[in-house]
Amino acid sequence: MQVFERGWLSSNNILFGGEQTALVDSGYLTHAPQTLALVQHALQGRPLDLLVNTHLHSDHCGGNALLQQHYDCRTMIPASEADKVRDWDEDALSFIATGQQCARFGFDATLAPDQPLRLGGMDWQALGAPGHDPHSLILYCAAERILISADALWENGFGVIFPELDGESGFGEAHATLELIATLDVRLVIPGHGAPFADVGKALATAFSRLDYLAADPVRNAQNAIKVLLKFLLLERQQLALDKVAILLGRMPVVRTSNQRFLQWPMDELAEWAMAQLVRVGAAEVRGAWLVNQG
Amino acid sequence: MMSGQLILFDPQDTSMAAPSPCISVCEMDARSGLCDGCQRTISEIVGWGSAGDAARRTIWRAINQRRDALFDD
Repeated sequence: MQVFERGWLSSNNILFGGEQTALVDSGYLTHAPQTLALVQHALQGRPLDLLVNTHLHSDHCGGNALLQQHYDCRTMIPASEADKVRDWDEDALSFIATGQQCARFGFDATLAPDQPLRLGGMDWQALGAPGHDPHSLILYCAAERILISADALWENGFGVIFPELDGESGFGEAHATLELIATLDVRLVIPGHGAPFADVGKALATAFSRLDYLAADPVRNAQNAIKVLLKFLLLERQQLALDKVAILLGRMPVVRTSNQRFLQWPMDELAEWAMAQLVRVGAAEVRGAWLVNQG
Repeated sequence: MMSGQLILFDPQDTSMAAPSPCISVCEMDARSGLCDGCQRTISEIVGWGSAGDAARRTIWRAINQRRDALFDD
């Protein structure tokens, strides 16, 4: 098993050797050529047999199309997303809402909560992990005590609780997902983003506390989402013209909905605020007329 | 693509673990064989996850040498 530790635009990719080669998650669309190069290098001429997605956000499945073009790999996606992918229903998939890109891909098989699968000669089990995304799965190998936690648990937090932005439930589901992880015997967590880590207890404590903070006032979740979406855009483009940020944010339906529901700020004020927040934490810098990515 | 701020690290600085050089540009330059964002080779990016701290510092030394050559004024 090899973890390609990517940054925060592309998710990590986990490559398995053994009787059938497999990759869990494929990164963002604009990074797909590098993702393919990483897989080719690591497989040393062997084909990729299986591609699995923990969930269908653009930073986890954006490399699917290129990998499918290059390899005759079977592709497994969360079962509850199957109809949307079959019809490529972009309104129901998340790409339009977030203003993010994803090339159309197909699938051969589905994966449902509690379903077993073989990866790298090891027995894994998919577990339902709603909260960040209602359809997300995490993968657990009991024999090796390894958890592939996707965006349900990172070393220092978890992915944006998207359902709440649309007025749907997400905090309770995220809480239950963390509770589920707490019941597992885990020696290594491979998160969707960031370095793999060993101390699951500490990560869970951080995540529970962060979730309590967000759930106590959903405005915080909306503000966090808008900051994260701006950072994602900045990672994608590396720099943004200061006077275009309000327009770019306003093009994301999820930002408009969150703003309407929770903030009701004029879009230019929202953009000013979001930029200032990224600058404050060192995630961006203003240089002349540009907002430039940092870190 | 004009890139944002590079991650900087002195491999002799033992006060912290060697950080990931990735800034999410993740685009290979066909001529140099290096990532435009972090100045690593494909082999170094693949190996990063399983590399120990010493191996990561070796990669950082190579990155810094390449940057000196690439961004020399």
